[in-house]
Parts: sequence; C-alpha cells; structure tokens
Amino acid sequence: MAQGKLPHYSVALGALLLLWGSSWGLFFAPAETYMGDVQRIMYVHVPTAWNGMLALTIAFFFAVVSLWKGGLGWDARLEGALEVGVVLCTLLCMQGAIWAKPTWGVWWDWDPRLTTTAVLVFAFGGILALRQFVDDPVKRATWSAVAAIIAFADVPIVYFSVRWWNSLHQLQSSPATVSRAFHWPLRINAFGILFLMSGLIALRARLAALRREDEVAPPLPVTVPHGASFAEGARS
Amino acid sequence: MNDGVIRDGWTFVWAAYGVTALILTGYATSVFLRYRSARQKSAPVKP
Repeated sequence: MAQGKLPHYSVALGALLLLWGSSWGLFFAPAETYMGDVQRIMYVHVPTAWNGMLALTIAFFFAVVSLWKGGLGWDARLEGALEVGVVLCTLLCMQGAIWAKPTWGVWWDWDPRLTTTAVLVFAFGGILALRQFVDDPVKRATWSAVAAIIAFADVPIVYFSVRWWNSLHQLQSSPATVSRAFHWPLRINAFGILFLMSGLIALRARLAALRREDEVAPPLPVTVPHGASFAEGARS
Repeated sequence: MNDGVIRDGWTFVWAAYGVTALILTGYATSVFLRYRSARQKSAPVKP
C-alpha cells in the first residue's frame, strides 16, 4: 500500500477547518431565538451525524467490493471505515445526549431516531469486536463483509426514522429552514470532519493492511551461526 | 424557562465541544501511534 502523506495532510486540514468552524460557531454566530446558546452544539453534532453515516456507507461499499473482488486489501479498507464510523456515531450519541438534557429535559429517550442510532453503534461495534475472535483472515474478511452489508440496512432506517414515526427528534433541516447566520460554521465543520474522517479511514486501512501482512507472512527462518550445530544455535 | 427560551446553556455547549475534542484528538492520536508502531515492526531489518 502506498506510503504517501496525503492522509496526514487530510487529517491536519480537517483539524484546522474544525478549529475555524467551531470558533465561528462558539464566538461569532448569534444565539438561536429559543434554544439560546445550546444551539451551538449543532455545529459539531450535525456534521458528526453526516460524516458518521457517510463513513458507514463507505464501509458498506468496501464490504460489497470485498465480497465481489476478494483480496485482503478491501478487508483492510472495510476495517478502517468501520472503526471510524463507529467512533463518529458513538460521539454523535454523546453530543446528542448533552444537547437533549437542556432541551428535552432528559439525557436519553428511547425514541425512534435515538434507538435506531444506538442499534447502529452496537451492530457495527459488534462486527469490529467479533473480528478479533476469527484467526483466519480470509474467513474474517468474508463474514465481516456479509455482516456489514446486513448491518447497513439500519442506516436508511436511522435517516427516515423521523419521518416514519413520531419522534422527539426534529426532522432534517435544509438550507431553506436554517437561518443564513448559521450556515457557515455548519458547513466549515462538515468539511472539517469530512477531511478528518477520510484521512483517518486511509491511515486505519493502512494499519490494518500492515497487520494482515504480518498475519499471512511466512515465519522467519531460524538463523544458525556458521560452523555451529542446530542445537547450539537454538541454545544461543 | 417560563417563556420557552433556554438560558445558561454554556455549560452544555462546553461539555459537547470538550467531548468532541477529546474523542477526535484521542482517536486520531491512537491511529497515528498504532500506525507508526506497525510500520516500525514491518520495516525490513538492515543487514
């Protein structure tokens, strides 16, 4: 796998954009009429949601290609996207709970959007955890891809849950329903997390590929000093 | 909160941004460290 620095630059650019967008959202954007300053949480919560869902969609794509083409390279990419997606969706639930307490009066509610998102975290997190128990890399790649494709069915359910059922969670916003004063911090942070996510998926995939190489590499030959017997070499 | 407006929300705002910074920084650092360690381990040994 290429050893270029592009993922490092992507992570650095993402971090800079996040700093810029968050500073704008915290210190320069106006407070919302009813939610007040609590609305500023949306500048990190919404971009985390978009990119968490995107990371799991990328994982779904890698899973399909992994099954279709085979090869452990696609499994390494799948592992990278799965882990980053689970981290972002876990963070999403934590940010949501912190926002829910002052607005809904509770940290958590078993409403359709929150429940389906929790199922998403446990389903994809479970795949990552169970991968540790399969020693054969080829079998691990196959069943991980199948499990990721099945678990992905929850992603559109999360998206449409607020339309299909009565939910405490509000419907999706659009530029038409959000004041122009809130657009830029939201967009900058969305691109910030996008660059961060892309770089981290690429790096995590490289890490997984290096581990795969170690797994499938033949054992190193035992080196015996010249002139010594095998028994002496083994003792030294 | 009788007028329907949420006041004094800054504690929650800082908590949300703090958790975000902690998790993203911590995870990115963990990926960098694990990647560096794996590269060093797989680097060919110089004769």
